[in-house]
Amino acid sequence: MKWQVALGGLSLGLLTVVVGWIALNESNRMAGADRAYQAQAIETGALEFETLCRTCHGPQGKGTPLAPALNAADLFNGSRLQAVSYPGTVEDYVRSTISSGRPVPSAGTNYPNRMPTWSSRFGGPLRDDQIDALVAFIMNWQDRALAEAAATPALPPGSTVGTDITQALPAGNADNGKSLAEGVFGCAACHILSTVGPAWMPAAGTPGIGARADARIADPAYAGAAHTAEQYLLESIVDPNVYVVSGFTSGVMPANFADRVTPQDAADLIAYMLTLK
Amino acid sequence: MDFLRGIFQLHIPILDDVKAKGVKATLRAKFDDVVTRVTAGLGPADVRAVLRDDPPGRPNPRLKPHAEGFWLHMKPTYYHNMVDGLYPTFRLGWLSTFFFAFEIITGVFLMVFYTPSPLVAYENMRNILSNVPFGSLMRDLHKLGAELMVAIVALHMLRTFITGSYKKPRQFTWATGVVLLFVTLILSFSGYLLPWDQLSLWAVTIGASMVEAIPPEVVGRTVNLIVRGAPEFGANGLLRFYLLHVIGLPLVGIVALGVHYYKVILHGHSLPPGAEDVGVDTAKRVPMESRVYFMPQILTRELWYVSGLTALLVLVCAFIYNAPVLEAHADPLITPLHITSPWYFLWLQGMLKIGDKVIWGLLIPGALTGVLLMLPYFEVGPSRRYGDRRIGLSAAAVSVAGLAILSFMGSPWYKVTSSPDQEAVAALMPQTHPGPLREANWDELTFGTYYAGDWASAPTPTLRSLLHLFADHLAGVESPERQGVAAYMIVEDWQTDLKKITLRVTWTQADGTPYEFSQSAYLHRSHNGEAGSQPAAPAPTAGAAPIGTPAATVSAPVGSATVPAGMPATATPTPGAGG
Repeated sequence: MKWQVALGGLSLGLLTVVVGWIALNESNRMAGADRAYQAQAIETGALEFETLCRTCHGPQGKGTPLAPALNAADLFNGSRLQAVSYPGTVEDYVRSTISSGRPVPSAGTNYPNRMPTWSSRFGGPLRDDQIDALVAFIMNWQDRALAEAAATPALPPGSTVGTDITQALPAGNADNGKSLAEGVFGCAACHILSTVGPAWMPAAGTPGIGARADARIADPAYAGAAHTAEQYLLESIVDPNVYVVSGFTSGVMPANFADRVTPQDAADLIAYMLTLK
Repeated sequence: MDFLRGIFQLHIPILDDVKAKGVKATLRAKFDDVVTRVTAGLGPADVRAVLRDDPPGRPNPRLKPHAEGFWLHMKPTYYHNMVDGLYPTFRLGWLSTFFFAFEIITGVFLMVFYTPSPLVAYENMRNILSNVPFGSLMRDLHKLGAELMVAIVALHMLRTFITGSYKKPRQFTWATGVVLLFVTLILSFSGYLLPWDQLSLWAVTIGASMVEAIPPEVVGRTVNLIVRGAPEFGANGLLRFYLLHVIGLPLVGIVALGVHYYKVILHGHSLPPGAEDVGVDTAKRVPMESRVYFMPQILTRELWYVSGLTALLVLVCAFIYNAPVLEAHADPLITPLHITSPWYFLWLQGMLKIGDKVIWGLLIPGALTGVLLMLPYFEVGPSRRYGDRRIGLSAAAVSVAGLAILSFMGSPWYKVTSSPDQEAVAALMPQTHPGPLREANWDELTFGTYYAGDWASAPTPTLRSLLHLFADHLAGVESPERQGVAAYMIVEDWQTDLKKITLRVTWTQADGTPYEFSQSAYLHRSHNGEAGSQPAAPAPTAGAAPIGTPAATVSAPVGSATVPAGMPATATPTPGAGG
């Protein structure tokens, strides 16, 4: 009987030691399990993307004429969110877009088909965990999309419009200007969708920017060098701080559009702005 | 004081004793009294004697806890020394009870973190494994305990049969034992569904689909609706199985166990067959010299068993055993290839492969259960001795062998049903468990396209072993109808830390049309929990393109399907051009 007592006591001691050893490793193990879970979500998301999303968004998410690119820096650096004044994170944006789809086309876009609604909460085929997996997969493009954008060289010298507001610009296309303003350059975020910058659209009593340009040049407070409405609008884009309309602050509008906008882009934007009377 | 006592009628009895005997004596008497009440009859001196293994004296005070206390009221005060060792019982009945209690305890821990809804069950499992300290240990212990309990209960039944302990007067003990076996099997089966991953859903669907086959059709349909709560498993089914698992079956089990154990004590534990005359049962009348008393011998032994077994189980779960890795979330639209029922129902699955579902799945197992239940009522031979029961013992041996053979027949190795190309791919990318590809060294899966026949020249050991395995399984693809079999493994850099692995088998059919079967899987660096990420790099363009014909030139969709493993949405086979 004594040996049973001894062995029983030893077993209890061994049990304590083993449980203690497990306790010491537990946080590492749990972190590993969490990582494994996230990793498996990405793998599942990859499979779902291949079946459900690839045809429209491209196999590597680079976009097709049917749908925008997801493996793109402007999604992860917040530009697209800013363009629609989305208040949440990029992940929230991706999740809500996948869940509800795009029954109505996004402003400034002209894709031929609407994006289907995917979440079962809104009548689509995917469960919540399947949506989470897709989101995890798409978010996993972040590193490479941003790295690619950073590695992408700036436009070669001579190809941007520069700060010479007297240069001759090519003929502008107002529709293209509209999509540039609402899309990649993000003008709409401040000038149409919010009041950060002077409103472009006509409002009660106030004409649109196309009609205001001439009046601004004639204003005695005008400190810039433009002589025509087109020059004024070009100056507002490439050299915004030389003259800021009263009521607005200098230094808020990005000052580097001269290096980002090509002459054709500028012509298109100006053509669009001139239609806003 | 008297004035106060008069007003409040206050009378503290212990103060009277203190007044009469003094504080020390009073406290000692109180202590004696408390110990005697708590132990239901043993004073401190008796407890000391038990711990020192002293002879008890007469009358034996150690019988009182059995007679007057609740906890030991069913435990025998003494055992026959012929049945208190490892032979002939191997303590299997005791072990069965131990595992029942063990499962209840580990189960309650898991219950705290689990909700039986398909919306959250899988996530709860993931949470238990990654966010709950000791969650993984509890799950492993619970799963290991479940598997062992089924085996031990079956072995206990086998031992009881072999020693003929089901005979008069223990027939009903045997019958309650069969009930307990049934309870154990269904407990394990119902618990199998709860993780709600692909393996759970489909393994249990195989078993539960048996009830649909009950003739006539209306009965089968109704019973199916009662069991699953719906035509297929879903929220209702999960809830029902959960309730069965945590309260329904445990209650039945506890009642049956009570009756079963009470009858064991009532009739006395049966002696080894050779120890008694034929037809005589002397188990209840244990002569004084054969008695082994519960206190302290058996009690000590049982306590040692409990602590030793717990330590052993925790040790095994910490270093050797892990519950099966959770597969993908349960998906009613995708059935994993080679899905099987749990091992203790493989024999049933094997029987289903023999013939008609009703005969082999319902009638014969039903008849076998009936025979088992009623066995002691028609097998009434008086002798328990091995020599007099050759037919019975042979029948037992044949049954065990038959179950083993049927279990093999129920496994995927018997009568492979899918085409050899799918089998070859499934050897590397199985759909019921991780498999060689998912367990391979991720870093050694270098980007490129590899021809299976050239496995020896693959750049890394991992690739060599995987391609070798692939090539071995391809031997079955080549046949008079299928010629020119070629197989490739393509590893592509897909995203940060994510590789895409495609396995492709191509061949030419006898009439000249080219066919292919391909399946792809995505592997993340951390899918087994490893940390660390390679620095973000642009996707390489070289070495990733599959060689030879793009899928577009492969015609004839029959037998050709590009179905990613574990597809969450409807997996319709695409024509070869779809890729």
